[in-house]
Amino acid sequence: MCAAVKYSLRGPALIPRMKTRHRIYYVTLFSIVLLGLIATGVFQFWPHSIESSNDWSVEKRSIRDVPVVRLPADSPIPERGDLSCRMHTCFDVYRCGFNPKNKIKVYIYSLKKYVDDSGVPVSNTISREYNELLTAISDSDYYTDDINRACLFVPSIDVLNQNALRIKETAQALAQLSRWDRGTNHLLFNMLPGGPPDYNTALDVPRDRALLAGGGFSTWTYRQGYDVSIPVYSPLSAEVDLPERGPGPRQYFLLSSQTALHPEYREELDALQARHGPSVLVLEKCTNLSEGVPAVRKRCHRHQVFDYPQVLQEATFCMVLRGARLGQAVLSDVLRAGCVPVVIADSYILPFSEVLDWKRASVVVPEEKMSDVYSILQSIPQRQIEEMQRQARWFWEAYFQSIKAIALATLQIINDRIYPYAASSYEEWNDPPTVKWGSVSNPLFLPLIPPQSQGFTAIVLTYDRVESLFRVITEVSKVPSLAKLLVVWNNQNKNPPEDSLWPKIRVPLKVVRTAENKLSNRFFPYDEIETEAVLAIDDDIIMLTSDELQFGYEVWREFPDRLVGYPGRLHLWDHEMNKWKYESEWTNEVSMVLTGAAFYHKYFNYLYTYKMPGDIKSWVDAHMNCEDIAMNFLVANVTGKAVIKVTPRKKFKCPECTAIDGLSLDQTHMVERSECINKFASVFGTMPLKVVEHRADPVLYKDDFPEKLKSFPNIGSL
Amino acid sequence: MQSWRRKALLLALSASWLLVLLGAFPLLRLAVPTRPRAGASQGWPRWLDAELLQSFSQPGELLEDAPELPQGPRGGSCDWGACFDASKCRGGGLKVFVYSAAGPVSETHRRILASIEGSRYHTSNAAEACLLLLPLTRDSSAGECSPVPPQWNGGRNHLVLSLHPAPCPRTFQLGQAIVAEASPTVDTFRHGFDVALPLLPEAHALRGGAPGQLRQHSPHPRVALLALAEERGGWHTAGTNFSACPWDGHCEQDHGPEQTHPGATLPNATFCLIPGHRPDASHFLQALQAGCIPVLLSPRWELPFSEVIDWTKAAIVTDKRLPLQVLAALQQMPLTRVLALRQQTQFLWDAYFSSVEKVIHTTLEIIQDRIFGASAHPSLLWNSPPGALLALSTFSTSPSDFPFYHVQQGSRPVGRFSALIWVGAPGKPPLKLIQAVAGSQHCAQILVLWSSEKPPPPRWPETAVPLTVSEGHRKVSDRFFPYNAISTDAILSLDAHSSLSTSEVDFAFVVWQSFPERMVGFLTWSHFWDEALGGWGYTAERANEFSMVLTSAAFYHRYYHTLFTHSLPEALRALADEAPTCVDVLMNFLVAAVTKLPPIKVPYRKQHQEARPPLAPEGRGPRPEPQPPVRNCINQMAAGFGHMPLVSSRLRLDPVLFKDSVSVLRKKYRSLEKP
Repeated sequence: MCAAVKYSLRGPALIPRMKTRHRIYYVTLFSIVLLGLIATGVFQFWPHSIESSNDWSVEKRSIRDVPVVRLPADSPIPERGDLSCRMHTCFDVYRCGFNPKNKIKVYIYSLKKYVDDSGVPVSNTISREYNELLTAISDSDYYTDDINRACLFVPSIDVLNQNALRIKETAQALAQLSRWDRGTNHLLFNMLPGGPPDYNTALDVPRDRALLAGGGFSTWTYRQGYDVSIPVYSPLSAEVDLPERGPGPRQYFLLSSQTALHPEYREELDALQARHGPSVLVLEKCTNLSEGVPAVRKRCHRHQVFDYPQVLQEATFCMVLRGARLGQAVLSDVLRAGCVPVVIADSYILPFSEVLDWKRASVVVPEEKMSDVYSILQSIPQRQIEEMQRQARWFWEAYFQSIKAIALATLQIINDRIYPYAASSYEEWNDPPTVKWGSVSNPLFLPLIPPQSQGFTAIVLTYDRVESLFRVITEVSKVPSLAKLLVVWNNQNKNPPEDSLWPKIRVPLKVVRTAENKLSNRFFPYDEIETEAVLAIDDDIIMLTSDELQFGYEVWREFPDRLVGYPGRLHLWDHEMNKWKYESEWTNEVSMVLTGAAFYHKYFNYLYTYKMPGDIKSWVDAHMNCEDIAMNFLVANVTGKAVIKVTPRKKFKCPECTAIDGLSLDQTHMVERSECINKFASVFGTMPLKVVEHRADPVLYKDDFPEKLKSFPNIGSL
Repeated sequence: MQSWRRKALLLALSASWLLVLLGAFPLLRLAVPTRPRAGASQGWPRWLDAELLQSFSQPGELLEDAPELPQGPRGGSCDWGACFDASKCRGGGLKVFVYSAAGPVSETHRRILASIEGSRYHTSNAAEACLLLLPLTRDSSAGECSPVPPQWNGGRNHLVLSLHPAPCPRTFQLGQAIVAEASPTVDTFRHGFDVALPLLPEAHALRGGAPGQLRQHSPHPRVALLALAEERGGWHTAGTNFSACPWDGHCEQDHGPEQTHPGATLPNATFCLIPGHRPDASHFLQALQAGCIPVLLSPRWELPFSEVIDWTKAAIVTDKRLPLQVLAALQQMPLTRVLALRQQTQFLWDAYFSSVEKVIHTTLEIIQDRIFGASAHPSLLWNSPPGALLALSTFSTSPSDFPFYHVQQGSRPVGRFSALIWVGAPGKPPLKLIQAVAGSQHCAQILVLWSSEKPPPPRWPETAVPLTVSEGHRKVSDRFFPYNAISTDAILSLDAHSSLSTSEVDFAFVVWQSFPERMVGFLTWSHFWDEALGGWGYTAERANEFSMVLTSAAFYHRYYHTLFTHSLPEALRALADEAPTCVDVLMNFLVAAVTKLPPIKVPYRKQHQEARPPLAPEGRGPRPEPQPPVRNCINQMAAGFGHMPLVSSRLRLDPVLFKDSVSVLRKKYRSLEKP
């Protein structure tokens, strides 16, 4: 503005005929506009400068610069922890409502330095691990910077190690947090609780209703379903590079690496070693190490020196004995080495025991039975030991290996409690990735034979072959267990015949018109399907007798989780071409049934429509082929079971439409089908189809028995 | 002049508009940089001196823990290590002694006794027992509670069992005794020490019990979404448009498609809302039986057997304070999850809750698992069919050793089979049979169980596979003993009279590999309900369906030998020894009770020649019209199991090209078709 005024003083030379008053007015206006335009231009043409301006606002500060808070000596202290707290009583779940993503929001208080009246700090401002922990939370999906939307609050007051803080003053610091409210929804992380002489198993800082994620809980202090038991992080071993070692027999059967043990335990260990000789290795602190060798990285047995934690990889089982505290950092080292921990610490709550199944990765032995430990371990079969070694290593990788892993597992556990309907399952927590890959969880796992009275719904996919369609409808309607008939009219250019023209049948007949001529319409989970059993049938399959269809339904009832169909097909590995091949010849084996006539559970319609992996569904619609192979893949993959082929081989289509059975057409058909198999196998990442050598026939099929007495006499006639 | 001014004004105005349009937003963003996008920048700061931070503990601190002696239990609380002496339980697993009542035996007490006696846990010698069971029951006459028993010893190694809630005020300190009570409150429950039982109705079945009510895997599209437990014991269902309903047992807004079931009828809905008060726990079992997924609103009681049962697979425990969240979650729950939860309710009901016997055995199995430690049931065995009571951890702790988990684990049973030939009274070595079986490429070994009076011949034919003869099996049930010599998963059980061809054996074995949990046999029987006699009967007549296969020629998993010998009640096995046809019935009952599925029949060439199975030794073999004792056998078995487990099948599995009109040369099992 100043410049503009100055400018205007020299004005008359430039704009001579203007009055001074107006000149000032206009020049000022123009200057503002000009400045504005320049500024606009700058921001329009260098948009990145705006982005980076955000980066500038990221706090790059020093910890020494954090604000100091002085705590008056008489500031309030929270109550001691309430042992009866449960999520339903002490946790304010209202703060976590209205969350469509089922993820809790976590707020972190900003870092302060607390001093008492005389200016003496309450504790070290923050430890490296707690800083890592808060960084991990801040980087996670749980984090929010809006204190009003938060459901869980994490104070930045570091209470990981009780030895490093002043109890009363720390409690006062907690109490003055802006949303403290008796500690409701506050989460404290502590790894080293208690202190001499009695070493409480939970943090001694009074914390009222706050949740405690603690390392070393005992059954007396742990509030089941409220607190979270976490590991004691081992910063020492994090620095060591320890390549993974697979399971299998190792040099020592049992090893103890802890240095500070109660004399009684030490005696027991020595006795074990005396009894079992070289298979037991009891290590101690080294006494005469040369200068400069870090004592914490070495263990000694007599005069032999071992590297720690590397030595743990030489043992099958590793002792984790209680020290003054129940939670021992050695547990983490042991798991990492793939050594099975033998936990001897009565009443100890193992880390994340709410979700982790420690039976699979450790052996817990009562202190009383410590002398029997060797025989207890020996009774475990080798296969189980190897399984435990693998599991131990996996627990370390997933939940122990970094502060971040510990923090996120803790939040996940709390999240699962608040949104139980979206919680991770036992398998998700406990199964290593290799097991998750190899295992199949059949969605219809309950052995249940559905009642015959339910019947089935026949779904006929048709385009315009009305005459043949009507014949199929008439034939199918003769089947006693038919409950409903659904015609999927896939022709958008032509209306289905008038109501009066359809065959009159004893069950409801519904016509569904589709929006597009797609093959996947046959597998859509229509609301009209009320029965569990679905019969998919083409509009030209007229050769199946009523007995054959009824028997097919009976077979489906005994195998409700499988595809039960009539024409069977096989996939083969073509060794010359190194790929899969489709086979429709007379073979002794079956791995697929065609869905031109097949019974299956309607749930598979839902899976086909909404859960088909990759682009298979659109690929099938684009190629107008192989929807049946896709269904066979889908069902076999999800259930891990083979199809059931019913009744002998026969011609299914009408005799008069054999014209298309030309040889060349047939061959292109086979090539296309083989391509489908290869395509699907690559999308599924595996070949899920199972080959079997059996088919289902009625009990008395082709037996020397009066035909009149057979339930399904009219089967297999060509 | 004027126009120039006007023009200038116009220009200035439009320029300022341009300015506003183009520039204002970026300018504002620059001027007010307070609220950047969440998580990106305003999170926990990256400290410049983070590298210099100290670790939370000094290297020595973790190691130099001042050692302390362990502390004893505090405040009367107990945990497993401190309060249970497992040293008494070594060898033979858990042995339980039940105190007898001082006065007249109450009904509950009698039922508890009945379900333990004859089971594998029972001992009648208090000194040899590792667990002493004290049933807490209301004495019908005096209304008093059981007095402190003789070997009380502060309650150590005692299990105080109260099947029904609040039988009496506890007149003595429970101390170190394990308490097993119905729906204990979360405040007093000692995790890993006490056992939470379900709240059973007074008239709960002793054995077997009612089956689950679920008839189909997926919910019927027209069934109600929610049923709400009512205070007086009924259920209250509401349609799918059920919206804002209160959670305390009465619904005011929605009076549309709803109905109230009086009494204790089972709810018919997809989800069952159960309030958290303790008396409402009785609704929990009803919902479970009905296949209605229990949605527990802030329960104040511990879920039954929560130590081993993963309830997240069958129920939803949620917070009653978030009704809208819960409702939305239920409505949007993916079909796959609904299916899994529904099926799990049925499995759990049937495996652990449907009878008093199952509840008590589950309680003991949990305690035994604690004693076993590393060789306890893995979680998978507890939480998938057939359940831990039927998958014995004494057999193996590895799921792939059992016949039930192969599909789940993506594993297969071990490749070959062992033939087990039982030679009965006439004592003629079955040479032809041995040759036929040994000719199978899948045969690993042949074991002959010689149980005739005559000594076995010294010489046996040369066979391609090892042949072992073992003597001295008099009892018929001995043929189902888990012999150590059996090295394969599959057993082909045979009688000396059986007649099979190699091709039949080969095909049956290949079929068994697809169904390792079932019995695959050649000859069948079927059971039926005889209205006239008011009991079960069975027949060997050829019919359109069957429910049993004869063990004189059948493939099954070797685990069934373990189950037969170690889990069946003594009385049933004794019955089988007395009436030898019964042994087939018993084995079929056992497998059907475990699998809930029918056995599998494969084609048998000689069937048409032999109207009756000729296979049994003297006195064995069913007659077309079974005699009264035999008829009695099936009824006694049904009584022993508490229900009729047999399931009928109407199909036979044949080779794919069986009797098809195609060249015999194309067929793999062509000799099956020879007349």
